[in-house]
Amino acid sequence: MVDPKAAAAVHSGHDPIKHTTSPYVTGTSVLGVTYRDGVLLAADTLGSYGSTKRYKSFERLCKVNDQTIIGAGGELSDFQYILTLLEELSNEDFCADDDAKLSPKEIYAYLSRVLYNRRSKMDPLWNSLVVGGVQDGKPFLGTITMLGVHYSDDHIATGFGQMLARPLFRERHRPDMSEEEATQLLHEGLRVCYYRDKQTTNKFQIAKVTTEGTTISEPFALETKWDYKAFVNPGALAMGTW
Amino acid sequence: MSGIGTGYDLSVSTFSPDGRVFQTDYAQKAIDNSGTVVGIKCKDGVVLGVEKTIISKMLEKGSNKRTFPVDRRAGMAVAGVIADGRQVVNRAFDEAVQYKSFYGDSIPGQVLADRVASFVHVFNLYWYARPFGTSVLLAAYDESGPQLYLVEPSGNCHRFFGTAVGKGRQAAKTEIERLKLGEISSEQGVVEVAKILYSVHDEEKPFELEIAWICDASDREFRRVPADILEAAEQQAKASMEESDMDD
Amino acid sequence: MANVAYQLGSSGYAANSAHSAPHAHPSWSPYDNNGGTCVAVAGNDYCIVAASTRLSTGFSILSRDVSMIFKLSDKLMILSPGFQADARTLHKVLQQRYIQYQFNHSRPMSVAACAQLLGNTLYYKRFFPYYTFNICAGLDEQGKGAVYSYDAIGSHERSGYAVQGSGKDLIQPVLDNQLKAASPLVLPPENWMSSLPLDQAVDLVKDAFVSAGERDIYTGDAVEIYIITKEGTRREVVELKKD
Repeated sequence: MVDPKAAAAVHSGHDPIKHTTSPYVTGTSVLGVTYRDGVLLAADTLGSYGSTKRYKSFERLCKVNDQTIIGAGGELSDFQYILTLLEELSNEDFCADDDAKLSPKEIYAYLSRVLYNRRSKMDPLWNSLVVGGVQDGKPFLGTITMLGVHYSDDHIATGFGQMLARPLFRERHRPDMSEEEATQLLHEGLRVCYYRDKQTTNKFQIAKVTTEGTTISEPFALETKWDYKAFVNPGALAMGTW
Repeated sequence: MSGIGTGYDLSVSTFSPDGRVFQTDYAQKAIDNSGTVVGIKCKDGVVLGVEKTIISKMLEKGSNKRTFPVDRRAGMAVAGVIADGRQVVNRAFDEAVQYKSFYGDSIPGQVLADRVASFVHVFNLYWYARPFGTSVLLAAYDESGPQLYLVEPSGNCHRFFGTAVGKGRQAAKTEIERLKLGEISSEQGVVEVAKILYSVHDEEKPFELEIAWICDASDREFRRVPADILEAAEQQAKASMEESDMDD
Repeated sequence: MANVAYQLGSSGYAANSAHSAPHAHPSWSPYDNNGGTCVAVAGNDYCIVAASTRLSTGFSILSRDVSMIFKLSDKLMILSPGFQADARTLHKVLQQRYIQYQFNHSRPMSVAACAQLLGNTLYYKRFFPYYTFNICAGLDEQGKGAVYSYDAIGSHERSGYAVQGSGKDLIQPVLDNQLKAASPLVLPPENWMSSLPLDQAVDLVKDAFVSAGERDIYTGDAVEIYIITKEGTRREVVELKKD
């Protein structure tokens, strides 16, 4: 039987309920761009445990329905929980049997409330989410942080990608890009993330959503080049260093 | 205390001297008078068909549904009191959601049928409750293949190759027994179900046919049969009706 | 929760220091400051409402085109710089209450009623506040400009003009100087309503944002301006520097 005194102690602040104050297994950046026919998202497949490469084939990009995809960085168990929430909603839609499906903007609004409500309970879902989709024939791209801050833009990058890839996007992105151009731009973004973010591996996926539906690519690696003079001998051009 | 029920039919918590629960029997009667519902298990799936009498010329087509998905891999057809049926359908949906959230996979047909039957049975146990005036045919597709169950107001639950409830059940069951269920595909099943429902239908009144299936053609999801396939099946059913009229 | 002092700032998981234990994290805060500046000026027959559109966190620009102005109607707006997630939640709550009010009273809410509602809504969360610094502005029932400004927990006052957000320190003294507000301490009380003609007031607001954009890193990209008169409401966007 539960000791009432012990139970009271829990609620009187002696032994408080613990909530997430730091993540365990994490994913790093998610990149996203809109283009002429829809949206592309990109992410690597690494789940890091601190500085350990714990899971090397974790798919951080997921299909929600035929017009929506999401990508996540941050605590990966929290992300899997979020996916179960979305799956339950999509099953409800199926059983309602009225051909109505959640639109990308509805999913984005829903997730922003979920993350905000959890932060308000001081028990956050430790994620940065990116939602991509096509609605009314137009591309939609939005992101949500663990605090519930959310915005949509033509191009988005979370985590280190915000510092590393977003400047490239700001320089080169156009809303009327072709799929080839957009893919090329994402490759550039992923490559610089791989070069400079230790939590990124060279195993990536790109998810695409157009009016035709959604596809998520098989994992692929990017060409890299490490024999730049400055890489081989970083001190050569910097006097007074070794 | 004289009359038909002689007092034993007032509550579900009293047996009659010959061992019947009259309220449960009456609930069964509510179904026996409703439109016919048939279900057959074919080679690759299950087909459920409902004969719906059109209660008014002003009724919007398709607004009186009697087949309901309760999960991606399971669905029901309701005979009898539809308002009662929706209670059963909602419970089945909740059970499917609960199972999936706990085990991460769709609820197996047997488990769902048992849980729904237990739910229905409870309404036969207390004086303040009334049994559902509803029989549900449950179609499911899990790892062990397609399955068809029937849950009755008593809480009885059986698994069938094919069965029928409602007004035309006797004739329908005879027709079902003639089918080679182990050999026909669900596409053929749809035609057979349409034929059966047309043949048992009382010709005076107009009716609407509703057919749903869960089979390979529906990606093993419980869905209403696409309009073109339903239309073709109805044409064939009407043609075979005319043929048999010629024989007379 | 009572004795927790929240530290503002970026709380990203990337902030993990290489020297700390694998998962240790400085301390999580439920708040962020997303910056932005808002200005509202009340005139005798107009109200000007303006807000920058940059969304920031720390030294990062998250987006260049995010509105802080929430339009309850053509004549009634709420401006909310601060923590964007709280601002959007507050706006949702107010939207709900606004619709409910119209059902119950069969007329739109007055600026005064909305101002009181906003104050109450903020104070309701006195011990876990919405981290937003609002302005409620519009035309009152006499058709005069009405501007109310708030702190995060709901205390408020009506004034002739108001500035809130990251550029407040830069813009407030300029408006104090240009709009020549009479001190509320002067007796007998003087009219504190702006006596500037509309077009001059609009130019003043634009200049104020251009100047704030020059020195405040959280103000830039663009400023969204609504000019509310009894003839109707006009929206203008003025581009600011993107740096």
